[in-house]
Amino acid sequence: MLKSWKLKEIVLMSLFGVVFGIVYLVFLHIGNFWAGIIGPLAYEWMFGIWFIVSIICMYIIRKPGAALLPETLAATIEVMLGNAVGPRLILSGIIQGLGAEAAFAMTRYRHFHVGVLMLAGALAGVFSFVYGYFLSGYAALDPSFVALMFTLRVLSGAIIAGIGGKYIADGLLATGSLRGYAIARTEKNDAGV
Amino acid sequence: MRLPVPKRTMPVCNQVFVLEDFSFCYPDTADATLNHLDVAIEEGQRVVITGPSGCGKSSLLYLLNRLYPANCDGTVSGTLDIYGKRSGYYAPGEINQTVATVFQDPDAQFCMPTVEEELAFTLENLHTPHEDMQARIDDILLMTGLEAHRHRVIQTLSGGWKQRVATACALIMEPKCLLLDEPLTHLDPLTAMEFVSWLDALQSQRKLTIIAVEHKLELWGSFFDREIALNADGCIDKDRAFAATLPIPFKKRQHTKRHDTLLTAEQLMIEKSGKQLISAVSLSLAAGQVAVVAGPNGCGKSTLLKALCGIYRPPNGTVRGDPAGYVPQSPEQLFLTKNVTDELAFSGKSSPAEMDRLMNGLFLQPIAHAHPFSISHGQKRRVAIGAMLADKRKVLLLDEPTAGQDEQALKELYELIDARAKDGCTAVIVTHDMNFAASIADSILLMKDGTLTGVFDPDALWGNDELLHEHRLLAPKGRNAYATDFA
Amino acid sequence: MRQILHNMNPSMKFLAVTVSMLVLAFFFNPWTPLLFFLSVIALQLLFSRINWKLWLLFMLPFFFGAFGYLWTTLVFGADTGGPILWSYGPIEITEQNWAHAWSLSLRVLAFSSLSLLFALTTDPVRFIQSLMQQWKLSPKLAYSLMVSYQFLPVLKAELEQIQQAHRLRGAEIDKHWWNRLLAMRRLFIPLLAGAVRKAERAAFAMEARGFTGEPRTAFYEQLTITRMDYVLTALFGIVLALCCSIEFLDF
Ligand SMILES: Nc1ncnc2c1ncn2[C@@H]1O[C@H](COP(=O)(O)OP(=O)(O)OP(=O)(O)O)[C@@H](O)[C@H]1O
Ligand SMILES: Nc1ncnc2c1ncn2[C@@H]1O[C@H](COP(=O)(O)OP(=O)(O)OP(=O)(O)O)[C@@H](O)[C@H]1O
Ligand SMILES: [Mg+2]
Ligand SMILES: [Mg+2]
Repeated sequence: MLKSWKLKEIVLMSLFGVVFGIVYLVFLHIGNFWAGIIGPLAYEWMFGIWFIVSIICMYIIRKPGAALLPETLAATIEVMLGNAVGPRLILSGIIQGLGAEAAFAMTRYRHFHVGVLMLAGALAGVFSFVYGYFLSGYAALDPSFVALMFTLRVLSGAIIAGIGGKYIADGLLATGSLRGYAIARTEKNDAGV
Repeated sequence: MRLPVPKRTMPVCNQVFVLEDFSFCYPDTADATLNHLDVAIEEGQRVVITGPSGCGKSSLLYLLNRLYPANCDGTVSGTLDIYGKRSGYYAPGEINQTVATVFQDPDAQFCMPTVEEELAFTLENLHTPHEDMQARIDDILLMTGLEAHRHRVIQTLSGGWKQRVATACALIMEPKCLLLDEPLTHLDPLTAMEFVSWLDALQSQRKLTIIAVEHKLELWGSFFDREIALNADGCIDKDRAFAATLPIPFKKRQHTKRHDTLLTAEQLMIEKSGKQLISAVSLSLAAGQVAVVAGPNGCGKSTLLKALCGIYRPPNGTVRGDPAGYVPQSPEQLFLTKNVTDELAFSGKSSPAEMDRLMNGLFLQPIAHAHPFSISHGQKRRVAIGAMLADKRKVLLLDEPTAGQDEQALKELYELIDARAKDGCTAVIVTHDMNFAASIADSILLMKDGTLTGVFDPDALWGNDELLHEHRLLAPKGRNAYATDFA
Repeated sequence: MRQILHNMNPSMKFLAVTVSMLVLAFFFNPWTPLLFFLSVIALQLLFSRINWKLWLLFMLPFFFGAFGYLWTTLVFGADTGGPILWSYGPIEITEQNWAHAWSLSLRVLAFSSLSLLFALTTDPVRFIQSLMQQWKLSPKLAYSLMVSYQFLPVLKAELEQIQQAHRLRGAEIDKHWWNRLLAMRRLFIPLLAGAVRKAERAAFAMEARGFTGEPRTAFYEQLTITRMDYVLTALFGIVLALCCSIEFLDF
């Protein structure tokens, strides 16, 4: 997968993996406290935060794997720094990454406008929910409660990860430090497309 | 171990680089940076590339070691052959095992945390057998005088020492060709001189090809045998045999020192990670005074400036006076905006006319709309200096403002500082350029091992060989000329 | 003795920890995770010299999380069979429900203590080295990760640098901490931008040092798998087996 990547793209992707691994962990801890008070629903509306690195990296690098890999790395970093879910979290990272990746693969890595990014966030939410449904035993919960969880998660993925991710990447682009990456190349030709 | 090779089977390739009608253009600039170069560089040559700041020297080195154009989306036309093979046919990193580079910016060329790991990383890339690694690292550390720094975190080394680590990393590869981008700028004068003679010996022994970029040719004596001069448009201006040059003649400054004090520091002490970087430094600066700080690499010059401008808060001692303007040794640390004009206008203290004068004086007009991070190293430094001059602080602290500047820029810098001093401002300048120091300084502050050893009158200092040697300094080459001219 | 866990080959340790967690995920009685949690603490007491204050600090949020799991599973858990233990209004807690809730929340503790064991006794750089040497992780990815990991302290310095630049250039500094907290948001993008530039330069530096991304033939610091690693892995296995066997003993 990494054959067609430039070294600097791999380094950038790893860096984002590491940085967002830490960001994720911080939010996981916040979520834990929060969930201690109001239960698993606490996580759902902020779930998009945990998909954001996929969207940012793919939006910048625009190569196959740029959504899956950083998400997997971020999850691995989270595990190495210590958290409750353990190595299984790497698997959820992979699944979430695959969800986002699927959206980009569907557009054959050609379109990166807001719609696609939101779709990627939403799909990451769907994938992670399906996985969670089977593994974390949501089946044991009330169906209407599960439906609420699902809706919240998908919305959060589309909004926080999709729109938030674009916002961050565009901010970075404006600082001029993304010259030489795909985002800067295409931005010149088809701004906003 | 050399076997006799039948003559015809080994193509003797003694041309290292061949450029034919070679041009290069950055993606978002209108004009090509390098224009129609036709050059061939042969094995074992010692070539120096000269030209005004921003003409494309560093870009050329980046192309020769194949980091560009692949990594920057720039466009090239014409051809570049490296060791007889089209540059595009090398895999990333492949040619870098034979062509080693020391980059211009000491802060931007390391990837591992400590000196030892950086060297080990290089050896692993070359598939050096495990048994040999230790010995080769020991050797190179000994050769470059870095033994004591083996386990140091590179990030915490001073600028000059970083430059030496970079050289060590380039040499440990035992490359066939060495690209050096202003390798002497951050070295103290004596070390610079030693470096040249040491490189001389190394080159004769290993028949290295050396291509260096340099502004201050006088530091190299008669080291080179060929000079390729680029002009401001990125074309080859001259390609000729190298001739030793004399330092830039500056006129001697009229002293403008007044009586009122602008900045005083008392018993400054700075500690980082349990190590005393500077201790018991006291000084006072008068209005109109231009003071030069000099001393060996790693003696605490940059640290002193950081303490004076309040970046390091001393646990001990006091600094009193106006808030000072500061140009760091790595100018990028200062940049906040998205283009050069905004960078200078950031504080809004200068009128448009004054801004224009600064922009022109520092030769920043052509890059007025460029992003401060994507300009040449010398230009970055001038932008930082310009920004601080535009802020109109009474006290200016400049860390190696002379590094990477061409003759014109140095003269302009001299004029700008001189003009400020006449208006009653104070400048503290750290520099390794003794020629510049000799002509601009009212007083010279010598530092060693984190302490201020004294404040000297320049003319008296140049005569004191022992003192100079202790601080690893050399009297400027043209000193005698001054003595007669200004007697 | 108390260095053993720290010296263990990181890949082996990772394998042991991962397998333990995957196995634990299949046990739904409260005793297995509880016992395992206690064993992990015992292992750390015996074979490591971790900072227990730090451990507590990291565990604290997980205790909260575990509590959250407990009561939400009790309240929102779908109806399951078994005799009703306790009821309050519409909420009925059955025996199965009760056991399930405890098992889920204790599992949080078991998992988090296990990954903390890994995190607190493993140097990430050695872990990546070992992944590359033992598990043939691609050097391109491995070194990029190492470089990025080593950036973390640099990021902190970068943040200070941005603030200093602002101060030097005379930009306003907010006086109140809440304003500064808000300003952090404005700092995040420049911080990332600085990091991106540093990453690019590190990539250049790697290439300039002749890094092609091919597998290497020799390493400066060679990590091997020793007898001790097998012994420790076996120990993990035994502890795991004992904790799991509880399920088949009693209930
Ligand atoms: N990354 C970049 N993107 C766009 N333009 C650039 C970039 N880097 C440099 N330039 C421009 O290309 C020109 C040549 O830059 P280069 O760094 O090669 O100059 P130089 O000759 O090494 O100068 P100096 O002596 O100051 O180091 C400059 O005008 C600079 O503004
Ligand atoms: N953060 C730090 N932690 C530990 N040591 C440091 C740190 N920063 C600097 N030093 C050390 O302090 C000493 C002084 O460094 P400084 O950068 O002031 O030297 P300098 O005189 O400017 O040298 P140069 O001429 O090479 O730029 C050096 O030995 C350096 O290694
Ligand atoms: Mg240059
Ligand atoms: Mg310095």
